Amino acid sequence: MRILQSLSFRLALIYVALFGLSVAALLAFYFWISVRAPLEAVQTRVQGEADAYARVYILDGADALVRGLEARAVRLDDRMPFHAFLDPEGRVLSSNLPSWPAYAGRRWLWLEADIYADGDETDHEAIVLDRRFDDGARLLIGRDVEDIDDLREQLVAAAWWMLAGTMLLGVVGGALMSRAIGRRIETINRAARTVIAGDLSGRVVTRGSGDDFDRLGETLNLMLARIEELVESVRRVSDSVAHELRTPLMRMLVGLEELAEEKDEDRRRQLAEEAIEEARRLHRLFDALLRIARIESGRHRARTEPVALDRLVADAVEFHQPEADARGRRLHLGTVDAGTVSGDPDLLFQAVSNLIDNAVKYTPSGGEIIVSVEGEGQQIRLSVCDDGIGIPAAERSRVTQRFFRGEGTSGIPGAGLGLSLTSAVAALHQARLEFPDRDRGTRADMIFPRQTGLAS
Amino acid sequence: MHILLIEDDDRVADYVAKGLREAGHSVDRSGDGREGLIQASTETYDAIVLDRMLPSVDGMKILHTIRATGDMTPVLILSALGDADERVKGLRAGSDDYLAKPFSIAELVARVEILGRRGPAPVEPTTYRVGDLEIDRLGHMVRRGGRKVELTAREFRILEYLARNAGRVVTRSMLLEAVWDYHFDPQTNVVDQHVSKLRQKIDRDHDRPLIHTVRGTGYVLRAD
Repeated sequence: MRILQSLSFRLALIYVALFGLSVAALLAFYFWISVRAPLEAVQTRVQGEADAYARVYILDGADALVRGLEARAVRLDDRMPFHAFLDPEGRVLSSNLPSWPAYAGRRWLWLEADIYADGDETDHEAIVLDRRFDDGARLLIGRDVEDIDDLREQLVAAAWWMLAGTMLLGVVGGALMSRAIGRRIETINRAARTVIAGDLSGRVVTRGSGDDFDRLGETLNLMLARIEELVESVRRVSDSVAHELRTPLMRMLVGLEELAEEKDEDRRRQLAEEAIEEARRLHRLFDALLRIARIESGRHRARTEPVALDRLVADAVEFHQPEADARGRRLHLGTVDAGTVSGDPDLLFQAVSNLIDNAVKYTPSGGEIIVSVEGEGQQIRLSVCDDGIGIPAAERSRVTQRFFRGEGTSGIPGAGLGLSLTSAVAALHQARLEFPDRDRGTRADMIFPRQTGLAS
Repeated sequence: MHILLIEDDDRVADYVAKGLREAGHSVDRSGDGREGLIQASTETYDAIVLDRMLPSVDGMKILHTIRATGDMTPVLILSALGDADERVKGLRAGSDDYLAKPFSIAELVARVEILGRRGPAPVEPTTYRVGDLEIDRLGHMVRRGGRKVELTAREFRILEYLARNAGRVVTRSMLLEAVWDYHFDPQTNVVDQHVSKLRQKIDRDHDRPLIHTVRGTGYVLRAD
């Protein structure tokens, strides 16, 4: 049965069993307090009386006992006294009990006793101690325990009803609860199956009640939204990769086809060289893409060592200096505070180098490029500022996407991967890559938290 | 030079062997890891070009075995795994150089020639002389035709590297690896700009240039 496999139902059953047990224990305790204990008190009292009358019989004889018993029988105190006294021949010498069984050893008996009051006869239950003397005389001494017996009967009856009721309510309640929970879980299952079937837009339907299942559903929905977003970005990237690789492939293909037809030796060599250059460009593109992917996915086993950013930017400026000079850009260091971060020097150098390279490319001749490192409290800001064409505000959020190239950059060589790589390196070092607003030109900031380890 | 090439891809092996032979070297070929290992241990070579992924015995294992026997023959690893950390792994395992596929034959030949020249125990002279150029490594001084040439520290390192390998082609990526302390991939040919500045200082006012460009490959310092 399906319901038996349900965890909530099984939990409910266990709960019912435990609850039943505690009800039973409670009943047993109450039974002991209100039935067993008073009964034992009566027994102790009757035992005492029986012992006393036995002494009377042994010391003073049968007549004295009968007198004593008759006197006791009329003392109608709290509990009605009952007795029967038979001589050794079995003749009844005194009795206020209607009947009694034959002697079967000294023991406690439950006997029916009648009480006459105002001409009415009421049946009472009495607990009676049955004993026989050495000469064969028999003495039954008891007292009325009708009230205790009634309570006992009521309790026993109530106990069965209560236990049965507990079980029934528990099982029914458990089944209902299990069904309610099952239904909520099923909505999650349904969403999961939708996603498994390939539709990533599947979501858990929440009730808006803010209960546990709603909160779980909301968390799962956030997770699914994140997954969908990631898959979407992967799809976008692979689409654009395929698209971007088409152009160089096409150029190569055209060149090779022409080469196959061409007769002129010089032209052939030129075509072959062009095709080789195209292949090299493709190779570089692949390398850059793989590299970005490895850094982004954390598969790049980065070296981690203290890197002095002041020295790093000085090296980077020195590296790009001849290129900038040759193209008529004034590249120099600005404020350079000492600042050390923990990271991979090669990757950081590459990131800064890409920023400087962009600045050189997108600044007109005579432009100025300033590279600086400034410590600001808990962070270190590495900036590359230029007074070039700048990045329109609308494009700023997209410049780190692979292959993105802004308006007005056509005619300037580049694949649109430099900032993607810089951004990936920044993320690996827990740094933010920002392009703050400027009146003119571009300012690229890599903002490092002070003294941090690599995200690994 | 006598070179052992261990590469299982016939096409690549043909290409490499042809390139090395054209550069005037003798080449022994092996297409299998085990066979290559036996060849490497029975014969003496000036350099070994070793593919990283091979049938029967892995390239890295061959490198380990060669080095374990105390054989210090220079080894250049070829690999389709081009990432920086793979390169570091290869160099740490005892290879002398690491070249990622695809590579150009000029790059490979240039690297192998410099490896083979290094020999078992390189003893660097304190002064290099190429034609009328004189480089004092200890004093960080450069003279051409007796006249002192002022160089930046970086230019000095470039010239020093060219001089150490005088007469041999030095590729851009070799320069980048040897002269800069960072392993990275410059977006533009910034290295060319550095060399061109150096060349201005060395060759300007002289009829016979010493720094020559090898088209599509790199540079060579030569006095001819």
